[in-house]
Amino acid sequence: MNRRIGKLALVLFALYIVLFVQLNLIQVGRKDTLDNDSRNTRQTVQDFNDPRGDIVTSDGVVIATSVASEPGDDFDWQRTYPNGDTYTSITGYFTFGFGATGVEKVENDVLAGRTTAQQITGIGSLFSGRDVTGDVEVTVDSRIQEAAKSALAGREGTVVVLEPATGAVKAMYSWPTYDTNLVATHDADEAKAVFDYLDAAPGKPLLVNAYQERYMPGSTFKIITTAAALDSGLVDDTTVWAEESEFLPPQTIDPIQNYGGKVCGGDLVEVFRRSCNTPFARMAIDLGPDIMVSAAERFGIGDKMPIDLPAPAASFFGDVDYFEQNVPLLGIGGFGQGNTTMVPLHMAMVAASVANGGVMMKPHVVAATFDQDGRTLRRTAPTAWRTTMTPTTAAKLDGLMREVANTGTASCCLRLSNGVRAAAKTGTAQLNMAGEPERSHAWIVAYAPAEAPRYAIVVMLKGTTAEISEGTGGTLAGPIASRVLDVALGL
Amino acid sequence: MSFVADRRRATELRLVIFAGLITAGAYTLASLGKNSVIPPRILPFLAVLLLVLVSAHIAVRLLAPGADATLLPVAAMLNGLGYVMIARLSERLAGLQTTWTLIGIIAFTATLIVVRRVNDLARFKWTFFFFGAGLLLLPMVPGLGFSSGGARIWVSVGPINFQPGEFAKIALALFFAAYLAENRELIKNGTWRVGRFLLPEPRDLLPLLAAWGFSVVLMVGQKDLGSSLLFFTLFIVMVWIATEKAAFMAIGLGLFAMSATAAYFLFDHVQTRVSIWLDPWQSYRGRGYQIAQSMFALGSGGLGGTGLGLGDPTRIPEAKNDFIFAAIGEELGLFGATAILIAFLLIIGAGLRTAMRAKRDFAKLLAIGLTTIVGVQAFIIIGGVIRVVPLTGITLPFVSYGGSSLVANYVLLALLLRISDNTAKRLGEAPDQMSAVERFEAARARRRNARTGVTE
Repeated sequence: MNRRIGKLALVLFALYIVLFVQLNLIQVGRKDTLDNDSRNTRQTVQDFNDPRGDIVTSDGVVIATSVASEPGDDFDWQRTYPNGDTYTSITGYFTFGFGATGVEKVENDVLAGRTTAQQITGIGSLFSGRDVTGDVEVTVDSRIQEAAKSALAGREGTVVVLEPATGAVKAMYSWPTYDTNLVATHDADEAKAVFDYLDAAPGKPLLVNAYQERYMPGSTFKIITTAAALDSGLVDDTTVWAEESEFLPPQTIDPIQNYGGKVCGGDLVEVFRRSCNTPFARMAIDLGPDIMVSAAERFGIGDKMPIDLPAPAASFFGDVDYFEQNVPLLGIGGFGQGNTTMVPLHMAMVAASVANGGVMMKPHVVAATFDQDGRTLRRTAPTAWRTTMTPTTAAKLDGLMREVANTGTASCCLRLSNGVRAAAKTGTAQLNMAGEPERSHAWIVAYAPAEAPRYAIVVMLKGTTAEISEGTGGTLAGPIASRVLDVALGL
Repeated sequence: MSFVADRRRATELRLVIFAGLITAGAYTLASLGKNSVIPPRILPFLAVLLLVLVSAHIAVRLLAPGADATLLPVAAMLNGLGYVMIARLSERLAGLQTTWTLIGIIAFTATLIVVRRVNDLARFKWTFFFFGAGLLLLPMVPGLGFSSGGARIWVSVGPINFQPGEFAKIALALFFAAYLAENRELIKNGTWRVGRFLLPEPRDLLPLLAAWGFSVVLMVGQKDLGSSLLFFTLFIVMVWIATEKAAFMAIGLGLFAMSATAAYFLFDHVQTRVSIWLDPWQSYRGRGYQIAQSMFALGSGGLGGTGLGLGDPTRIPEAKNDFIFAAIGEELGLFGATAILIAFLLIIGAGLRTAMRAKRDFAKLLAIGLTTIVGVQAFIIIGGVIRVVPLTGITLPFVSYGGSSLVANYVLLALLLRISDNTAKRLGEAPDQMSAVERFEAARARRRNARTGVTE
């Protein structure tokens, strides 16, 4: 019988190996899936009974913190956002039952004290009962963020300020937005009511316009068309476009017109400064679908924004096949109309890459994370994302954009204090069909000081009101950019 | 003269103390994790714990000096970790579990006292059969038995509730072992010609099939699928090893497939179990909730666990009982859960080694049966909790909360130790001298004889 007993031993051993394998699959393999299952309130409950670190701006303002709950609350700690809706697009929220967004989500492990480094250094505090939560410092400067908020003054749109050389986000404010305290309540019914309301509200406040949505960019897109044309050698200082009010591309009987039907032409400086449409339509068509699409890809169009925040959007231009079938749309795309849509943050990155000699940096909002003793856990190193153009082209575009600020479409309205000079490009994205009431997004992208750029900015106002729709990018967005840049440059 | 047995007992003592220290350490950590305080009575706790464990060890030293050295310490560690987890889930149950552990150790010692030579038990096979069958039937008796959690496996006598099935499985293992040891040659070498096949005489096979059919029908009647599966496996394994014929294994598996299919189509609760097993998420808000919570618990435990007292195992329904393995997996992680698996493998290893070394068929088969009970029962419930097999409510031996289970498993353990000790004596590894109890009884007999004037 002993041989059979040996076999029985093998069989039982095999059964336990099966158990061991399944345990591995669950506890290691499926751990993340299970932990992130929306029905799994285990982690959330624990998180709400544990303290949580602060989120602070680069100038030391606390924008998210946890305070002891009032007596009778189900949980020990209440997450609060001292500045109401000012930093919603940065911090996001941390809710019971509705998950988390923003920095609250991406740096959850640090804030909850759950990174390996914190766990190891925290072993000593096991007996002292001290918490091991970490803090997050964001790149945003409270003074620039406040300036962006007050300059936007409740108009629908977005303001993003970047450091061209590092990609650090110094301000990012969008309207409509909401006070994150309203959804951080432990009253699940109340939080749900707020979410339902925000979900149905016009302007999609739950999405951060700055990086989770995309809009038609209008003439600001001419930076990309010009970069493609200069890089490919199609256009140089000697190229001149004839004065014309419209241009009839192939495959259509519907001519492309300049803004307001004006007659427009000249060399590159002139057509860029005055923002003529037909020269850029011609440029795009002459370059052809291959070069235009690959230029768009070089700028990162089609890829999700490489920002360290959840669920970023991707800009859209179009593919080669499509433009070969629709040459007029390639021309229209050349000046940022038609199907072209850009994430506002992305337009700031486009301007920043000109200021940075053709290198587009990854945008980031997390500057550094710290453990409970203030030791740095991780500091975000500036990282290049794309090389958008050659340094020569960048220098040329810099000159073109300075001319826009000095004597062109932005000269009326982008005026900085203390004689600081800027470089800019405006955009007015026409949303209405011919014959309909005017409706347009107003854009400006800029950087300053032009000689040694410290900040790049995008201001975008959604064409939802008559006031915005009647104005051009320069007149409406320019003053907002001026106010924000003045504050930033005054620091 | 030095015996292997002496070294075994020394090893056992060290391991038992080690198990006690692990338990006390885990108890302290759980208290720190849950309430951030070192348990106020940790030293008395440790003292009582070591006293109980060392008493059990001394019982083995006096009563079964040649027995295997690993069985008692491994069982003690499982019992200890189970206790820590139960205490962490409910302080009230912890007190009761302590009482049950003490009763378990007493039953363990009593078994060693009563059973001197395990082969003597073979004579009582029909007693065991009717005792086991009676125990199994008991919950069906109106006014005595009652249902809990869908299975009618409980019996209430006065203030005490217990699950007679836990003891029935030992009685039936004794019966199977005795019957098979006696008739294995007859069953093995069939004389009944049916067509081309030689089958055992129906007369020789019938009692066995009846015993099996009886218990299975009963189990299905009581809706206790876990025990049913356990009995089935026990039956197949013992017949297969006794007859050394794979055909019996095949027939057994065929019978199993048939009855499992029949049960699936006949009983709603079987269908429910299977559908929960295949996809617990579909009925998350219903029957699948328990398994889903078990998955969440295991997931949150991950590799190293949340730490004792730091997890949230109270969210798993029945965490103290059937699902204690999920609670351990949550707080001690994959490492702790694997330690439990290894502990059961050690018991299986020691049990089967005991079986291999035993000489007489009865002792051999009994050791196989008892080992199979522990090993397969642990597999069925752990597999149910982690979705390897459909969940069938059954306790995790030595770990789960529950008096019947704990006491029965300590009796089972004592029987294994007894078989092992008998073998050691036969092989000369232990002194074949009178045990302490035998010496005591001999002395008493001498005094009685002296009083009555009888001379030896």
